[in-house]
Amino acid sequence: MTIFVLVLMLLSINTLLFLRLVTNEATTSIRDQIDVSFYLSPEATASEIDEVYTYIASLPEVTQATFLSQEEVLANFRILYHDNENILASLEELTENPLGATIVVKTKDPADYVTVINDLNVPEYETIVESKTFTDTQGAIQKIDIITTNVEHFSFALTVFFAIISFLIIFNTIRVAIYTQRIEISIKKLVGATNWFVRGPYVVESVVFSVISVGIAMSLAYTSTGFLDQYLGVVLGDPQFLTNYYVSHILSLAGIQFGIVFFLTLISSMLAMRRYLRT
Amino acid sequence: MIHLTSVSKQYTADSVGLADVDLSIEAGEFVSIVGQSGTGKTTLIKLLIAEEKPTSGQIEIGGWDISRIRQSDVPLLRRQIGVIFQDFKLLPKKTVRENVAFALQVAGEPHKRIKDIVPRVLEIVGLGPKMERYPHQLSGGEQQRVVIARSLVHRPKIIVADEPTGNLDSINTQEIMEILKKINEFGTTIVLVTHNRDIVNQLRKRVVVLQDGKIISDEQHGKYHLSATAV
Repeated sequence: MTIFVLVLMLLSINTLLFLRLVTNEATTSIRDQIDVSFYLSPEATASEIDEVYTYIASLPEVTQATFLSQEEVLANFRILYHDNENILASLEELTENPLGATIVVKTKDPADYVTVINDLNVPEYETIVESKTFTDTQGAIQKIDIITTNVEHFSFALTVFFAIISFLIIFNTIRVAIYTQRIEISIKKLVGATNWFVRGPYVVESVVFSVISVGIAMSLAYTSTGFLDQYLGVVLGDPQFLTNYYVSHILSLAGIQFGIVFFLTLISSMLAMRRYLRT
Repeated sequence: MIHLTSVSKQYTADSVGLADVDLSIEAGEFVSIVGQSGTGKTTLIKLLIAEEKPTSGQIEIGGWDISRIRQSDVPLLRRQIGVIFQDFKLLPKKTVRENVAFALQVAGEPHKRIKDIVPRVLEIVGLGPKMERYPHQLSGGEQQRVVIARSLVHRPKIIVADEPTGNLDSINTQEIMEILKKINEFGTTIVLVTHNRDIVNQLRKRVVVLQDGKIISDEQHGKYHLSATAV
């Protein structure tokens, strides 16, 4: 019974871990796709463009600044609208490239985009920077932040909830087990056993419970990673995302889960036994 | 050996275990504590093995004041006192040999010494051939002999026996008393709490009578009589 409850608790923890991993991976993936593009005026000189690029790249929030020349922008534009004959025909009518160079910026955090935009809102760059795509991405960034924060809060609340429920169930299971052994405990005390001598077998029992329950729970969790990867792989772009994570972190996951179960069972048995050790 | 000075034990306002008891038991004595139910006999036993602490007064065992004994010192005290109970208090999942050995294990005795002593003690109480049996495979008299072996195994200077023959027939009662007398002859102090009139009268040893938590009689070669009027 105790092992069954412990396995259930560990499976809950593993589920939360998976949920958090998938959420983090998904939000990271979306964040990676977000950037801010600064479209420079076609009339901007090479030295002006270089100045703006150097300035943007030097900002502490910026992790990547990619410069696209007028030719590259035009080529990308043609690729983007390759099936739109009207637009392509219009381009052919023009004698000059109407598109300016572009600087594509990525920052450490989506919230940093506002800072970068503000840094470029200065009079000397007004004529050089023609437009920004900031307004298009701002909403998406805010939504991701809200979703991420909510998922993290929900995960945390669920973890705390499961921890409390697990502790109560395990504590009562162990308390009943110790109640049935109360006479043996009192006899041991009567013949001169110290409290730690009496507790010894229960410490060993906690280790056994921990090893068995962690073994069962991790086996089940590992099996389920293969199953879940079939579906998550499509979304996350890595066909073995969960399995790889589980295998590469197997020791730390086993260690943490063993620690949690051992601590929980040990504390439960110590508390449940306390009253019988007083005599 | 055992000295109680003005010892009182009050459980609640109207429940008195012992009231201002003075009692001295010298080394090698065999003392029977008698009295009706609820007169304080079991309280006295509990105080001697530090299962309870006195409300007031002082209890000294072998020069050690156990009145305010620390919880961590209780095991040390109990390893020096052999205790025999009416309901045996044997560990049901351990064999006779393991039950006796357990009393030495808790004291941290080396395995080799335990292996050497336990069979010898079990031979003394006549249980050598049954040492691999479990308590439920033994008669009441045999179980009590296991308890005696367990209490003897660490050579205590005092044995406290709380109604040791309470669950036994007359033949087993005689056997147990013979064993206790022999232990006493080898110099161990015996404190026997009993209801059994015949035992006390046959012993012709010191008899202390308790009534309402007080000693009402203390005779060196006494008999079992509860109507005594003076100490």
